[in-house]
Amino acid sequence: MRQDEAGTAALTTIVMLPLLLVVLVGVLEMGALRAVAHRAGAAADLATIVAVGDQDQLELALSGKLRLAADAADIARDYFARNLSATVPALGASADAIAASADIASFPTAPSLDPRTGARYDRPTIRLIASIPIRTPGFAALLMPAVTTVTVRSVSSPR
Amino acid sequence: MRAWRRDDRGLATLETILMLVILVPLLFAILEFGWLTQRWLAQDGVALQAARYAGELGGDRPELRSYIQEQLLLVGIDPGRVVVEIEPSNIAWREPVRVSLRTDEQVAIPFLFTTSVAVRSTAVARGEVNQ
Repeated sequence: MRQDEAGTAALTTIVMLPLLLVVLVGVLEMGALRAVAHRAGAAADLATIVAVGDQDQLELALSGKLRLAADAADIARDYFARNLSATVPALGASADAIAASADIASFPTAPSLDPRTGARYDRPTIRLIASIPIRTPGFAALLMPAVTTVTVRSVSSPR
Repeated sequence: MRAWRRDDRGLATLETILMLVILVPLLFAILEFGWLTQRWLAQDGVALQAARYAGELGGDRPELRSYIQEQLLLVGIDPGRVVVEIEPSNIAWREPVRVSLRTDEQVAIPFLFTTSVAVRSTAVARGEVNQ
């Protein structure tokens, strides 16, 4: 009886090894995907914060009211690309291309209504929504898409 | 030959060792990867906040260096092991400032390898002071 069981553990290991490797690759790739998505979200946050940090100086001097600079959306796009560039090796497109395709809207005066999200803003606001293609070679090895797209959103207003 | 096949003393031990050699590296790979990711995200957060502060201060200032050290300690990273670069050292209003942090972390997978991995974080903000 014992002789019949010889090598059972080794055989089980050999059979289970592909399954374990699949789970390992999936877990690692999912973790990497979430980390890169988090980084892209942080890049979007910093971009919108930088953009709302600059006010229309003339309006501020004349009326004392906060009003976003005329180029606020361009600034947000520029700094989004700059901050994404640190993550480029993990991205499925260039930082400039991702930033160029991002939906960035400026609402320089308040109150205002965002036609895309339906949100109402009580202060001048920059809103950024971007699709981030992230390379997922681990998923590709498991016959899943080699690039996974995540969407990041960021909204900032000056205080 | 038959006598050899019947003699299975120590076989369970051998199989256990074989399994451990495979499973332990798998387990450590997951643990090390999670630890590295946590380090990267924590360091990233510090870089982002430091870049904003650099924009407020107008570049590389002692207050900024102190702030980075404090924040690194708060997230459990030894500031002595982090290389900090702030470029340019002086910025004017609306000019970009880049803060980069780099740490060399050791990754050890039993039975396989031990190596050093550079964890890099970079953030770019904009000068907010008119000097």
